[in-house]
Amino acid sequence: MKIKGNAASVEFEHVTKVYGGMVKAVDDVSFAVAAGTLVTLLGPSGCGKTTTLRMIAGLEMATAGRIVIGGRDVTKLPATDRDVSMVFQSYALFPHMSVQENVSYGLKLSGHSKDEVRERTEAGLALVGLKGYGSRSPSELSGGQQQRVAVARALVLEPEVLLFDEPLSNLDAKLRRQVREEIREIQTSLGLTVVYVTHDQEEALAVSDRIIVMNNAVIAQMGTPRQLYEAPDTAFVADFIGEANILPCVVEDVTDGRAQVRIDGMTVTLAARGVGKGPARLAVRPNRILLAPAAAKSGFTGTLRKATYVGSHWEYSVESAAGNIFAKALDGDDRLTVGGPVAIGFTAEGPVLLPQ
Amino acid sequence: MLRHGLDRNVTFWLLTGLAAFVLLPWYGIERGYLDMRWITGGWPFRGSGASGLFAGLERPWLLPHLVFLLLPLAAWGRLKSDPLFSATLLFAGAGGLIWLLLQGFAIGLNGFEWSWLEALFGPQDIRQFGMGYGALFTAAAFLFFLSSGLAARGVVNGDTFVVGSIGFVIAVVGIFIFFPIMKMFIAGLQTDDGSYSLSVFIAKFADRKIWSLACMTGGTRCGVAWNSLFLAVMVGLFSTLLGLVFALVVTRTGFRFGRFLRAMTLLPIITPPFVIGLAIILLFGLSGTVTTTIAGITGMQPTRWVYGFTGVFIAQLLAFTPIAFLVLIGVVEGVSPSMEEAAQTLRAGRWHTFRTVSLPLMRPGLANAFLLGFIESMADFGNPLVLSGNFDVLSTEIFFAIVGAQNDAGRAAVLAMVLLFFTLAAFYLQRFWLGKKSYTTLTGKGDSGHHPLLPKQLRYVLFAIAGVWTVFTLVVYFIIIYGSFVEVWGLKNNLTFNHYVRAFGLSWNEFGLHFSGAAWDSFWTTLQISAISAPLTAAIGLLTAYLLVRQSFAGKQAFEFTTMLSFAVPGTVIGVSYIVAFNVPPIELTGTGLILILSFIFRNMPVGVRAGVASMSQLDKSLDEASLTLGANSWQTFRKIILPLLRPAILAALVYSFVRAMTAISAVIFLVSARYDMATSYIIGRVENNDYGLAIAYSTVLIFVMFAAIGLFQLLVGRRQLGRRFDQSRTNWEAGG
Amino acid sequence: MKLKLATMALLGSMLMTTPAIADDLTLYCSADEEWCQLMARGFEEATGINVDMTRKSSGETFAQVKAEAANPKGDIWWGGTGDPHLQAAEEGLSEAYESPMRGELQPWSIKQSEASGNKTIGIYSGALGFGYNEDLLKQNNLPAPACWADLLKPEFKGHIQIANPNSSGTAYTTLATMVQLFGEDGGFDYMKKLHVNVNQYTKSGSAPIKAAAKGETTVGIVFMHDAVAQTAQGFPIKTVAPCEGTGYEIGSMSIIKGARNPENAKKFYDWALSADVQSRAVEAKSYQVPSNKNAKISPLSPDLSAIKLIDYDFAKFGSSEERKRLLKKWDDDVSTLPQ
Repeated sequence: MKIKGNAASVEFEHVTKVYGGMVKAVDDVSFAVAAGTLVTLLGPSGCGKTTTLRMIAGLEMATAGRIVIGGRDVTKLPATDRDVSMVFQSYALFPHMSVQENVSYGLKLSGHSKDEVRERTEAGLALVGLKGYGSRSPSELSGGQQQRVAVARALVLEPEVLLFDEPLSNLDAKLRRQVREEIREIQTSLGLTVVYVTHDQEEALAVSDRIIVMNNAVIAQMGTPRQLYEAPDTAFVADFIGEANILPCVVEDVTDGRAQVRIDGMTVTLAARGVGKGPARLAVRPNRILLAPAAAKSGFTGTLRKATYVGSHWEYSVESAAGNIFAKALDGDDRLTVGGPVAIGFTAEGPVLLPQ
Repeated sequence: MLRHGLDRNVTFWLLTGLAAFVLLPWYGIERGYLDMRWITGGWPFRGSGASGLFAGLERPWLLPHLVFLLLPLAAWGRLKSDPLFSATLLFAGAGGLIWLLLQGFAIGLNGFEWSWLEALFGPQDIRQFGMGYGALFTAAAFLFFLSSGLAARGVVNGDTFVVGSIGFVIAVVGIFIFFPIMKMFIAGLQTDDGSYSLSVFIAKFADRKIWSLACMTGGTRCGVAWNSLFLAVMVGLFSTLLGLVFALVVTRTGFRFGRFLRAMTLLPIITPPFVIGLAIILLFGLSGTVTTTIAGITGMQPTRWVYGFTGVFIAQLLAFTPIAFLVLIGVVEGVSPSMEEAAQTLRAGRWHTFRTVSLPLMRPGLANAFLLGFIESMADFGNPLVLSGNFDVLSTEIFFAIVGAQNDAGRAAVLAMVLLFFTLAAFYLQRFWLGKKSYTTLTGKGDSGHHPLLPKQLRYVLFAIAGVWTVFTLVVYFIIIYGSFVEVWGLKNNLTFNHYVRAFGLSWNEFGLHFSGAAWDSFWTTLQISAISAPLTAAIGLLTAYLLVRQSFAGKQAFEFTTMLSFAVPGTVIGVSYIVAFNVPPIELTGTGLILILSFIFRNMPVGVRAGVASMSQLDKSLDEASLTLGANSWQTFRKIILPLLRPAILAALVYSFVRAMTAISAVIFLVSARYDMATSYIIGRVENNDYGLAIAYSTVLIFVMFAAIGLFQLLVGRRQLGRRFDQSRTNWEAGG
Repeated sequence: MKLKLATMALLGSMLMTTPAIADDLTLYCSADEEWCQLMARGFEEATGINVDMTRKSSGETFAQVKAEAANPKGDIWWGGTGDPHLQAAEEGLSEAYESPMRGELQPWSIKQSEASGNKTIGIYSGALGFGYNEDLLKQNNLPAPACWADLLKPEFKGHIQIANPNSSGTAYTTLATMVQLFGEDGGFDYMKKLHVNVNQYTKSGSAPIKAAAKGETTVGIVFMHDAVAQTAQGFPIKTVAPCEGTGYEIGSMSIIKGARNPENAKKFYDWALSADVQSRAVEAKSYQVPSNKNAKISPLSPDLSAIKLIDYDFAKFGSSEERKRLLKKWDDDVSTLPQ
């Protein structure tokens, strides 16, 4: 007995969710999740990502719009009637049932034969590495093991879509990395469609095929982890995924999709990304900022306010005419003195213009 | 996924409804729902057992039900998400229900109930009786159609079970709480010749006997409304004070027998309500033990001082102080010790700390205790019945307005409304007060630390009060048990088992064991009715709690308020309104056992709801969501996940509703019949017959039976430790695994 | 809805214990529980007809019969004071019937029947009076009362109990008796003076003598047979037939109009009037005087022939207008006075 994938696509068409007639939790959101991919919903708390996930599950009903799973309109279908499983933040293991009873719960309800239920339950437990733990009570397991039981319980139903709601938030830092890799491994090996909610950008970048960044009930940006990191569309995305300095600048000229951008006296050439002439903003990652003694004369200048050694690297705070700048460097530079002037420049990857 | 044919559940209810309409007797049977003689009485074609279909041949207004029952077939082969599916079901369900109600209310025992119908069709020789099984299940089918239709439209996440449950709870609460009370209001408007008049109502309402304030101005007595109000305020005030004294003794004096005091709180719940009144008479009546002893020593002329306000006040204080204690102990313990410690580090003395920090923090608890005492006193029927003398109160006045020579249901209705107004006002105040301010400690962390002891002088005062009252309570209960062995109190003071033998005698005759005691009949009836109503009360209470805690839907607040409302409706009011409402079609229940069961269910339902809400709020909501996403429907989730995790709440609701049903009197006294006599009303009858011995013996047996019942329930429901608590936040990782 | 199903299943299981019997009689009984049981069981034994008995006071039963007029559930109404029976006859709620037993009945019974157009009949009779607790009387050094007038003596202040005429037929009979004995003004004058001595107006008619038996009051104004019953139970109660004369009640029986089992109702009617049955009242500790001349009378029963009975006008004082008028007058003029 093997657990199979049963992957289906998920589509949201102009979906809105309003609570109590007033609060828009999700506002006119449209996206598509291709079958067999892992897509992350990422955003700060209250951005609507969990509501979106729960609408896929059928735990919340969309106020407007259409939800299609595997080509079937499920907008009005309750959770029970959808072929979707979910792993909860708290795992939600039934405390009055053994591990085996937990895992076989859904199978029994969907009318499988007794043998099949047993075989599938065993296969599911084996898949998450918990063979032989069936008779234990969930409370006798560690946090990570409980988490795996929750995954097994969802997997054995071979759902069209598997949902994860912040599955790692109750685990300690070291364990998180391991579990998220396991999840990714299972997803790819079974070819599952997974929608994954997290507020941790690192986690999102690590596991996702695609990321949907949400903010204030709308989608801020969608794309592959790399697209989002390298080319954020908004200051919010730039800052939320990794860190970024958002600096005001002026676009002086645009030719062939390349823009001449002036920032406090320094001029750089960047991809225009649809930005026209005039004032604009650009985002630059802290580790793509180069600091040098003011004498170096490259770039623009500022005053070094703070230099902190944090082990793996140095962190600098620089005050400049373009605003406060936060920079990271792998090695310290003895020539920089706190309170003294510094010259600010960018690495080759450099900054990106923000279209919005 | 296209469903072929019709949705499984819809099919089931369609068939159920059809079967009920074609096979079950549409009308109620003469002797109530338990009477099964219709099977031989021409069923299902003629006579009392005629089904809706065949009765409909003579009474054509029944036939449209069939149309509404068959209507869902129009949704054949359609998807749940098809708008026509929901529209069809909505139309069938709502239309069927409306038609059922319309015809039920329009055509009664005397033909048309509404004069405009008679004007329209002319006088017709038609009549119909109360609804029976057929109508019941047909109505259930309609209700299901309606909720399926609503669910298919995505109401409450499109969950049929939840929509159906909400519909079911609203329907039964409507039928068994609102409808009777409304009928009672209407009865208050009714004149002697059966017409309605507001002036009659006003005349009855403005009665001097209700509102007179003569006692304030030197007259003889005040109106019953003021009497009740005064009594309730005093009882509320003093029971709260005494409750606070006990709570402080247990928590802040270093007192070591707190467990004993807590055990005593069980007593009023398992004591039939008038028993304390009886004991008071035996002690303080004109010929009471204490009275005669004091008269013997001092040579004073014994008086009837205990009859009237004083006696009722003492009896109610004895009965309700433990309730106040129960409320206040939680509050007093709940005041965070660290706050009191903080106050002390800010140089406040013990007395100052208590006065400025502890006491104000207990305010909501005090308000709560007061209002509980107030409501209980207002609704109490048993103690005033035996002790009130010339001090008339609303609850007994209502009773005698109906059962005495006055026989004035209108007056009873008016009095009941006054009573209802007072209790609702108290109920509203309680919510208003508690809803406004937050007195909870503003930290998520558990508090360690100790409650500071009270100042010494205060401690001694508290000990003295609590000690005296405890001794008094013990004496009263001793008198109850001792009194059950005295042959005739005050006349023949020898001890005897005679009362027990008369009540619960067993003998052997040619058929074997024979229950020859006089009390057996009412005893078995009581056990039976309580045992049936307890699980039903718990079930509907928990179902309602589930809807309240776990579901969100439009009008939930109103829904919650109405389900809790019946807590504020005194038993006397329930009793009167049930008689008024269920004596005539379309629902005829008087004289049946069912009416007793129903009255218990809806009297005690709020307790089930409270227990359910409290413990369900502790359950992680994602447990049921997990179950839902694993393919269980709401009903399966409710049954397999929520119920097993709610055992303690179920136990509490079961025990409480069972015990309440055993000791209830105020509603029961209106609803008993010769066939279904309850223990409490039987005992009241013995009291009226001066047979105190048997009355007290019977009450003593009841007290012990309830003790046993509580133990038994605990065994049945099981005490399996659910406390293998699930610590979600633990992070100790056992590698591998 | 599944709950409801479960309910029905449960209820269904309860009825297995009640066998179906075809021959039925529904008896509304307004006498004491014990006497009612005696009648119901006695009739079952005598005829094999299954009796379904409901005991309620006469006022309640009247209300019930009235409420059910369109759909009568009861067959026969036995016991309870005559007024509501007369009222039921007046309102056409009962059926006329001339029993073959009439020849054996006392004249007051026949008179009662004729007054109602044969719709009701007297089954027992009892005279009004009072009883006192001998021990308490002695303790308080009170003179033994023998007349109504004795109860007005100032030393009896706080020693007398009577029911509230609003809620009790007994007390209303007392009020009507006083009006007939002393005239309307004299009667109310008596009630006003009595009011001063009354320690409590009870709700139920027989409660005052029960309180006296328990030693909770010295004197109770009740029907004499109720006082006798307390003496028979061993309480130190002395029954008094007031010297001025007194009113009385006639316990009655009516067949309910539209009864479902009219034949059985008539059987019960005849049976209940027989001497044998009426002689058994004592078994139920009831000491009323039976209406059948041949019935055995308990030696404890008050001897009606030795009591000065007034010519009680049942038609007038039983009518609802007169009743309402007197009660209102009592409410306004008597009950509001200081005590």
